[in-house]
Amino acid sequence: MRFARRDVAPAAWRAEVSNALADGWRFAGLWAEDGDAEPALRAAFSRHGERLLLAASAARDTIVDLVPAAAWDEREAHDLHGAAFAGHEPLRALVDHDAPTEAWTVPVEGRDVFQVAVGPTHAGVIESGHFRFHVVGERVLHLDLRLFYKHRGLERAAQGRPAAEALAYVQRACGADAVANAIAFAHACEDATGQAATPGLARARTLLAELERLYNHLNDLSAICAGVGFAPGTMAFAGLKERAMRLNATLAGHRFLFGAVRVGGSDLAISASAAAELRSALGELRDETRRAWRELQFAGSVQERFDGVGVLELEDARRLGAVGPAARAAGVAIDARTDAPRLAYRDVLPALPPRADGDVAARVEVRGAELPVVFDLLDELLAEPLEPAATEPGGEVRRDGVALVESPRGQTLCAVALGEQGVVERVHLRTGSYANWPALAHAVPGNLLPDFPLINKSFELCYACADR
Amino acid sequence: MFVLLRQLQRLRRDAALTSPPRRGSLALRHVDAGSCNACEHELNAAANPYYDLARHGLNIVASPRHADVLLVTGPVTARMREPLLKAYAAMPEPRTVAALGDCAMGCGVLGDAAALAPPLDELLPVAIRIPGCPPAPDLIAAHLLAHLHGEAPAA
Repeated sequence: MRFARRDVAPAAWRAEVSNALADGWRFAGLWAEDGDAEPALRAAFSRHGERLLLAASAARDTIVDLVPAAAWDEREAHDLHGAAFAGHEPLRALVDHDAPTEAWTVPVEGRDVFQVAVGPTHAGVIESGHFRFHVVGERVLHLDLRLFYKHRGLERAAQGRPAAEALAYVQRACGADAVANAIAFAHACEDATGQAATPGLARARTLLAELERLYNHLNDLSAICAGVGFAPGTMAFAGLKERAMRLNATLAGHRFLFGAVRVGGSDLAISASAAAELRSALGELRDETRRAWRELQFAGSVQERFDGVGVLELEDARRLGAVGPAARAAGVAIDARTDAPRLAYRDVLPALPPRADGDVAARVEVRGAELPVVFDLLDELLAEPLEPAATEPGGEVRRDGVALVESPRGQTLCAVALGEQGVVERVHLRTGSYANWPALAHAVPGNLLPDFPLINKSFELCYACADR
Repeated sequence: MFVLLRQLQRLRRDAALTSPPRRGSLALRHVDAGSCNACEHELNAAANPYYDLARHGLNIVASPRHADVLLVTGPVTARMREPLLKAYAAMPEPRTVAALGDCAMGCGVLGDAAALAPPLDELLPVAIRIPGCPPAPDLIAAHLLAHLHGEAPAA
C-alpha cells in the first residue's frame, strides 16, 4: 500500500486540502496532536490502495466548507486540544460540556416552536447521550446532538504506552466494534513499523471482522423490529444474534471476541475439524436467518412503517461523509472492504439495496443484502484450518501509521504516531459511528418525534466509540 | 409472522427453560455511566428467548421511580456523575445499587483520570457486584436472583 506524508505550512493547509480533493482523494479524518507551542494538525485521505497524511504544525483556516464531513473533527480538535479554525463560524461546542446551551444548539425560532430535551439517560437499556429536538407539535424541525457523556479520555490515556498495551484502550472504546477498532489499530501500528500481513494473518483477522459484522447486523435487525414494536421479529433476530455470539465464544473464547486481535500477529488456531463444525453451525444459522428475513419482508404492516421514514438523501450522505450501511442505503457505493490490502477480501463489492432511497426501509435492506455476503465470506474463510500467524517485514519504518477498516457501522480510521521503541505518542480513532452521527441528525428533521427511536435504530450508531 | 413464531417456539423448546419455582420480582433500571456498550448488549441479551429474564420476575423498567435496583455500567465518567446521582435520588426506598461489569466494579478501568469521576463504590452504596467484561446474560440473572432470594451468588 502506498503512503505519503505531506508536511504543509499552516497557511497553506486549506489550499493543500483543496488540491488533494481535486486529485480525487477522499477525506478520512482530521485530528490534532499536542505540539510544542500550538496543537499540530493532521488530516488523512484515501484513494484506492493509497493513503495520504497531511501534517501542519498549527491550525489556521477551516476546511469545513470544502469538506463538510470535517465539521465534528474540527469541533473536537478545538474542544480537546485548543486548535482554532478561522472561518468555522459558529464553531459550536462538541466535546465541551461546560459551554452553555446556546453555545452548542442551533437557534430555531417561530410560532409554537419548542424544545424537547431527551437524555442523557433513556427509558430502556440504551447508551447515554442527549438529544435536543426543536419541534412544532410532533414534527421535528431540527435536532441538536450532545454526545460525549461517555468520554473516558481513552486516546489520551493510551498515549505513552507500548502498542500492545495501548490496544486495550482502543478495543474498549466500543464493545460492539471491538474487532474492527482493534484491527484498525493493529494495522496502523504495523503500517508505521513497516510490517505487512501474511496471508494467514489476513485470513484470521478477516474472519474475526466478519463474525463481528454477523452478530451486529442480526442485532440491528432485532433492534429495528423493536423500534416498531414487532416483538416476533425482535425476539427471532435476538435469538439468531445469541447463536452467533455463542459461536464467537466457541471460536475465540469471548462472546464479543475481545482479546482476539493483537498487534504483530494472531494466535487464533482452528483445526480442520473445528473449522468444519463451525461451517456447519454457520450453515444452519444462515438457513434460519434466511427464513426470518423472508418473514420480515412479508410482514406488510412492519414494512409500511419503514417506508419513507428518516430519509438521508444521496447528496447529503456524500456531503456529510456518511459511511457504512447508512451511506450505502442512500446510494453511495463505498465500503472500506474494497480497499483493504491487509485483509483477505478479494472481490467484495459495496452492497446497495434495490431501492437506495436512504430511508429506514433501505437501511434494513442493506443489512439483508449484506448478511448472505457475510455468510459466504465466513464459509470461504473457514474452508481451510487456521494456524497462528505473524506479520512479515514489508515496508518502510516511519513515525506515522494510518489504517482504514470497515466496521459493522462503516469505515473506521485509526491513526498512530509511534515514538522511541514503539511507544504510542498519539492515537486517534474515528469510527463509523462518529462519521455517521451528523448524518443521522440530518435525517431526522421533517419526521415525527415518536419516529426518532426507529430512525436511530436503523442507523444503530454506537455512543461509546464516538465519545471514546 | 407464522414462521417467526414457530421458529421462536422451537427455540424455546430447545432452550428448555424452566419456570422458576420461587416467587418475587425486581424492577431494574439501567444507567450507562460510560460503558463500552458490551454490558448493554448482554443486559439486552438477558431478555432474549435463550435466557428470558422476565420469567424470574426480573423486569427492566423505564423510570428510576419504578425501580428497586439501579444497574450501573461503565467506570462513571465525570459527565455521567450527575445524571447517575439524579437517577438514584429519584428511586423510591428501599433501593439497591448493582455494579454491572468490571468497569462499574472499578477493576482495571481504562481511561484518563481527568475524564473520570470517583469509582461507583465511593458515590453510591453498591450491594450487588456482577463481575465480567462483560458479564454473560446468565451470570447477570444469577446475581440478581441471588440478591432477590437473599442468597450468596454462585461463583
